[in-house]
Amino acid sequence: MTLINKCILALAGAVLLASQVFAHHSTRGIYHEDQELELTGTVKEWAFINPHPYLTLTAPDADGVMRDWDISYGGAAVVHLQRQGYRKDTFKPGDVIIVKGHPARKAGVYGLLMEGGGNIPTREDGTPVVEGGSMF
Amino acid sequence: MKKNTAFTLSGSLALIGSVALLSVAQQGFAASDDIPDLDGLWSFPQCEDGRFSGCTTLREDDARLTNRALAYQAAIDEMAQPKYDCAPMPIPHMWTDPYSFKIEQLEDRVLIYYGKDDVVRTIWLEGHGHPEPAINEFFYFGHGVGHYEDGALVVVTDKFTFDPQGLNADFRIPSSTQKQITERFSKDGEELVLEVSTVDTFFLKEPWEFTVRSSSVDELDASWTCELDGARRSLMFEISKYPEDPEPVRIDY
Repeated sequence: MTLINKCILALAGAVLLASQVFAHHSTRGIYHEDQELELTGTVKEWAFINPHPYLTLTAPDADGVMRDWDISYGGAAVVHLQRQGYRKDTFKPGDVIIVKGHPARKAGVYGLLMEGGGNIPTREDGTPVVEGGSMF
Repeated sequence: MKKNTAFTLSGSLALIGSVALLSVAQQGFAASDDIPDLDGLWSFPQCEDGRFSGCTTLREDDARLTNRALAYQAAIDEMAQPKYDCAPMPIPHMWTDPYSFKIEQLEDRVLIYYGKDDVVRTIWLEGHGHPEPAINEFFYFGHGVGHYEDGALVVVTDKFTFDPQGLNADFRIPSSTQKQITERFSKDGEELVLEVSTVDTFFLKEPWEFTVRSSSVDELDASWTCELDGARRSLMFEISKYPEDPEPVRIDY
């Protein structure tokens, strides 16, 4: 089994809560919202910035080639992720984590919209990286 | 010596008086039957019917949009939106965002500090001789003039610049220089009630209206600093509507 654990078609109607409710940097149409992808990789960069924090994760693509994936939290801003327990030092380069979300549509770039706009990544042992809870 | 003492005393009294006057001017004035106490920190506005923000959002296929609005929306693509350059959300769209805000009532003006985009809006209160903008002056957040009436602050804001995201930044719905917003701030018990009505006859067939409520909070959301890297990040995934055009080159401010 490759580091991409699974790529399955999910049922239509997946709720992209944060991305739809307050994502001014629209995620509409740029991700396969009907697909789900799980990635295990190493953190390259964690940018805890407004308007939207992002994570760069080095993980293999479907062919096993290592890529830098842009992991998006949709429309969430720093304050919203802070309420879930995220901090500037939540991720450090080299951390191994598992993320789940919707892959980008555009060819040649590698991106993932966190499922539900606020899905919590886990460490290798399955422990959530933050406590979670409401963004609001 | 006596003269000096008297001088010092009168000077001190004058100073105390000045400080007191300044303090009154800065702290605003007490609430009354006509003037609601809006001063303070407020939670992000939420719909009266319990919906998160559904009552506030003008969606892309809203029946109130004119054909001109729909044509604009179809023509412009996502990557051309000013928000990717950290341009702040306009009003009334700002009220649809989940960020706390602060209201400061002063004698001659009301200040609104939004928890998003570092925006501070000034509402000039009528009767204090504030200069009117020149005929050729337009503003990103408009020119807002308010007065107190029956326990509410009523604000009319116009003289907006044309804004490609002026009615909704998610769905590329612009606003024209004819956008005019009427906001009515009042209290219902401890809650702040905000009624918003927006007209723009170029892009709206009828007024866009919503009512939201906020409750008192202890602190504002953390200060906001927009960074271009965070604002533009998702553009790498956008597919241009005009692929034969030269690739847009963005200025790093």
